[in-house]
Amino acid sequence: MTKNNRDQDVEFIQALAELLRENDLTELEVRREYGEDDSLDVRVSRATTVVQAAAPAPVAAAAPVAAPAAPAAPAAAAPQEDPASHPGAVTSPMVGTVYMQAEPGAAPFISVGATVKEGDTLLIVEAMKTMNQIPSPKSGTVKRILVEDGAAVEYGAPLVIIE
Amino acid sequence: MLSQVDSTNAEAARRVGTLTRPTWILGLQQTQGRGRRGRVWADPVGNFAATLVLLPDQPPHLLALRSFVASLALYDALVSITGQAAAFALKWPNDVLLNGSKLAGILLETLPRSGQTPALAIGIGVNLLNVPDTDHLEPTALRPVSLFSELGVQVMPVDFLDVLAESYAHFEAQFMAQGFAPIRDAWLARAARLGSEITAKTLKHTQTGRFETIDADGHLVLHNDQGRHVIAAADVFFKDDAYVAGD
Repeated sequence: MTKNNRDQDVEFIQALAELLRENDLTELEVRREYGEDDSLDVRVSRATTVVQAAAPAPVAAAAPVAAPAAPAAPAAAAPQEDPASHPGAVTSPMVGTVYMQAEPGAAPFISVGATVKEGDTLLIVEAMKTMNQIPSPKSGTVKRILVEDGAAVEYGAPLVIIE
Repeated sequence: MLSQVDSTNAEAARRVGTLTRPTWILGLQQTQGRGRRGRVWADPVGNFAATLVLLPDQPPHLLALRSFVASLALYDALVSITGQAAAFALKWPNDVLLNGSKLAGILLETLPRSGQTPALAIGIGVNLLNVPDTDHLEPTALRPVSLFSELGVQVMPVDFLDVLAESYAHFEAQFMAQGFAPIRDAWLARAARLGSEITAKTLKHTQTGRFETIDADGHLVLHNDQGRHVIAAADVFFKDDAYVAGD
């Protein structure tokens, strides 16, 4: 592969990354054929949390409040990456399955940007045919939804960020 | 006791703010009975529909273990009324089967209370007299039966509640005093298909494997070639039945 080719490849990959961002995709995979036995396979992907409008996570120094069952987040563990350490994080009080609406076909309880009052149901976590309504610990705005309908969650898993 | 109600669990949610002790709500006619995830629970007159509201001041994972307390209590109430233990069996997490068919449904819901731990509503439906229409059943649902249709035993909802409430109080007291272990043992002793192949279906996954046990958290434990699977929420199906939709 020539130097010229390599520069082109870098450009090509940059263009793909651009495409990914512009079209809000999470992953792209292409093969570029230069000739027989000479090709380039490129896969570009973006790490995304399940949702939308990612607000930057605050530093770990902020004391976790609100989430009643939130486990103490290890301070050393990359705070930028751990939504559980967010002061507005609502965490799962039990192992179970998440439902975003009261029943299939109904409107979801919340969406990103929605205003909620303290005590409003955010979602349901089911275990053993027990439907747990997860209430908002405070009034505020839904900043992020970190789980999707039908997802299995562990105890303490961050579900939603309310600010 | 209410002569007519939309659903006893909905009534429980409306009343929870005023309740100070465990309370049974019995609906003689339920017009909008509900099952799991919006499924319809058909409830002709003569069948049993009641909700027990508990205020135990416990975290959600302990509240959820009432699935086993309630199904165990229902099983024992049915056996004490009919005297036919061999006809009944339990299916994870809280189904009581009669001759392998759908006799009853139990649905638990937490009821948030501001500034307090949530209350728990345990809704219990039993086909005492009538077999519900199969019109709005999902095609995968288990064959519905009634106590009367299968065993020829007739019992009034009010009388059934007397037996069930006593049976429930017994197991609830045991659970509060000794924890989940004796409930788990008693439940496993009445479980259908222990050690046999069963299928657990969730919204996203289907796992088939040998039904090994339920663990200390009440989760279903299956074994197959891929290993051991611990499942917190799913509908369970038996291999040789028509698929059995949960309630």
